[in-house]
Amino acid sequence: MKQNILIAGVGGQGNLFASSLLAKSAICRGYQVLATETIGAAQRGGSVVSHVRIADQALYSPLIPDGQADCLVGFEPVELLRQIRKLKAGGIYIMNTHPVLTVGCTMGLDQYPTMSEIFGALNEINVRGHVIQATDAADKIGDPLLMNMVMLGALCAVSAFFKLDEIKAIVAEESRRAMVEANLDALDAGVDLIRQAA
Amino acid sequence: MTGGQPVMRREAAMQGAVEATADPVVKQRFVMGNEAIARGAVESGVRVVAGYPGTPASEILTSYIAYPDVYVEWSTNETVALELVQGASLCNQRSMAVMKHNGTNTVTDFLMHMNFTGVRGGLVLISADDPGGNSSQNEEDTRVLTHTYAHLPVFDPSSPSEAKDMVRTAYELSESTELCFVLRPVMRICHSRTLVDFEPVLVIPRPADFVNDRTRYVMSAVVEKSAGGQMRPVVRHRWLNQKQHELEELVEASPFNTIEAGEGRIGLVGCGIGYAYCKEAEEITGHKFPVLKLCTLPLPREKVLAFADSVDTLIVFEETEPVVERLLKEIFYDAGKNVKVLGRSGFLPAEGELSDRTVLQAIATLDPSYEQYIPQPFPLSVSVPMRTRTQCVGCSHRSLLHALKLVARKTKGVVTGDIGCYDAGAFPPMDLQSTIYCMGASIPMGSGIVQSGFDKPVFAIIGDSTFFHSGVPGLINAVHNESKLVVIVADNGTTAMTGFQSHPGSAENVRGAGARSISIEKIAEALNVPVQTVNPYDISETIDALNQALKHPGVSVVIASAPCYLLAKGHGETLFEARKIIIDPDQCNGCRVCIDYFGCPSIQFDGAKASIDPLTCVSCMLCIDVCKRGAIA
Repeated sequence: MKQNILIAGVGGQGNLFASSLLAKSAICRGYQVLATETIGAAQRGGSVVSHVRIADQALYSPLIPDGQADCLVGFEPVELLRQIRKLKAGGIYIMNTHPVLTVGCTMGLDQYPTMSEIFGALNEINVRGHVIQATDAADKIGDPLLMNMVMLGALCAVSAFFKLDEIKAIVAEESRRAMVEANLDALDAGVDLIRQAA
Repeated sequence: MTGGQPVMRREAAMQGAVEATADPVVKQRFVMGNEAIARGAVESGVRVVAGYPGTPASEILTSYIAYPDVYVEWSTNETVALELVQGASLCNQRSMAVMKHNGTNTVTDFLMHMNFTGVRGGLVLISADDPGGNSSQNEEDTRVLTHTYAHLPVFDPSSPSEAKDMVRTAYELSESTELCFVLRPVMRICHSRTLVDFEPVLVIPRPADFVNDRTRYVMSAVVEKSAGGQMRPVVRHRWLNQKQHELEELVEASPFNTIEAGEGRIGLVGCGIGYAYCKEAEEITGHKFPVLKLCTLPLPREKVLAFADSVDTLIVFEETEPVVERLLKEIFYDAGKNVKVLGRSGFLPAEGELSDRTVLQAIATLDPSYEQYIPQPFPLSVSVPMRTRTQCVGCSHRSLLHALKLVARKTKGVVTGDIGCYDAGAFPPMDLQSTIYCMGASIPMGSGIVQSGFDKPVFAIIGDSTFFHSGVPGLINAVHNESKLVVIVADNGTTAMTGFQSHPGSAENVRGAGARSISIEKIAEALNVPVQTVNPYDISETIDALNQALKHPGVSVVIASAPCYLLAKGHGETLFEARKIIIDPDQCNGCRVCIDYFGCPSIQFDGAKASIDPLTCVSCMLCIDVCKRGAIA
């Protein structure tokens, strides 16, 4: 048994909190976990990628090898594209549609791809996934920063490995008290977004 | 994932040591490699720890906050930290200095004396490298400084658990050999999280006594009577060289170097994290290669020669310079063994980080039947825009940089930069600082530009933590030698870039206890030069101060002082009144100054007009001042 989950996003999106919840839920079930994040100046708008590796045997490389991610969770569309090579054949991606423009794109030096270009590119390489408006759902609950929890809820709905109840129990334990209820609501919202789309 | 039993556990020197945790049962904890390293030291009875923040090593030092019996400090800089812990070592206490590779560069002078004197209480130097330069201004391999140059023993961990085991072993061997031991974790070890065994904390009740030995601890050009009148540096150099034999025997028995039998005549040599990638490649290919795990320097010569009998070719995977590769070639040459050694000098990429892909590609280069295991990249029909970092939304550095840019562009001046969050001012759209090198270089480089005869204004911008670290000597030099220079201290009250560590200007220390805050203003005033302190959130006040500073014929200091927005927010403080900032589309003429010149990431452009992203705006209101048409309110 081996599960590789990669979360791709931008600094400030709660990437590390989300990945630590996944790691802890696997540890509770007795698995080995090796996780890491590339956080090159993450707080200042850089890309943040979390690798979570779970297995019932020894794990060596903290980085998920290319073509071995069971699930690629994209908190941001182009960050998902940037990591698409990690997805394994038959793996699933979950994409949040809300873009975080790069400095170059805002300045007009780079072109941020349109959503139809992004879908087209993903279709061409024949990968399967779910596209959800997680930031909007989080905003409706009261804070766009709950997006990470919406995405984890979606992951629980998509993945056969992660169980919503287990993630919820850890969220209740690890969240700041004032945030528990909103975080749990956001997890449910993520599950709903996947079910509605199905 | 564990590195086996460290050699020479709990030896006689530690008689009387008490295991201090109430619960002596071994517990597994899910921790970062950095925390595992600190745990290894508290399980070894470490007493004094000092360091300076730097990614990827910073969390090692903050992990000690959980252990009240350990003296821990953020030192002014890495040299101070290493010198301080050597003082503790001379009093027979176990100590540790923590730094990233740039810090190791700066401590080299002290290291090149400390290697000659040796240590008394066990001393471990953590020298964390950042292959790939993910969070660094450069990429380097400090094994070259610490081992090749200083001839000190180095451990290179392949996992967080092994890093912890290595620290424990290092303390024991440091005391038995009287040498400083170096742990060189790379970023992937520091920042990995995994389950690590937590064993009991150890307290060693040793008195802190100082035993004089001037022949050893006074490094000086003096004749040594007991050595027939030879110079002391030569005598101590010989001592260090003779120590190498002792080390060679120790590493031969070390559990950190292992031989794994396998099939075929291609052997993989995995050093540190390189070993993890070799094992990953084995899983991907389903093939068991002969693997030689080498995680110590010096190398275990006999083990290397024994392994060489089973292979024709060795590929050495190490971060980042060909250190082990060259030592292996030397061993085989001396032994007359005909083994081909391939590695980072000519075969593997000589720069950048290793990965499982590096291992797969290397094997496939020698045996094309392995090409099938190299994953093909997905060809994407859209180009993915790069993401360069910038100041946070609400950061006071953005308005300081904006004010400085207005003055520097108008006067055609040059801005030299330094290390810290404000360095993002060198990237688009700010494009301000023209130079960034290492800690403290901004002011001396600015002086050099002035002294070259350059006839436009020169500005040096340096952060508060960097100012204390190594900015002060450059400032004193500029004042003494009368460089006409504007020095700007971007003072946000913390070492923000690496995660908000305290510094000598902070009113608290690493444990959050009250500390004496050193005033940058008073330091500058003591040099008898004009000093102005401004609020960088007030752009016109900042511009006025910079213009005023330009009128002065010598060094003039401007301290731009405002708390780090992110840190204040984390503490629950509100710096800005919560309100909705709006750009009036009728007033906005699409001039893009707020985007292309000021560059707040919360301002977007739809092709004709600018607008504010309400999801990310923190209502710092700086853009209101930036817009000359009054479109933002």
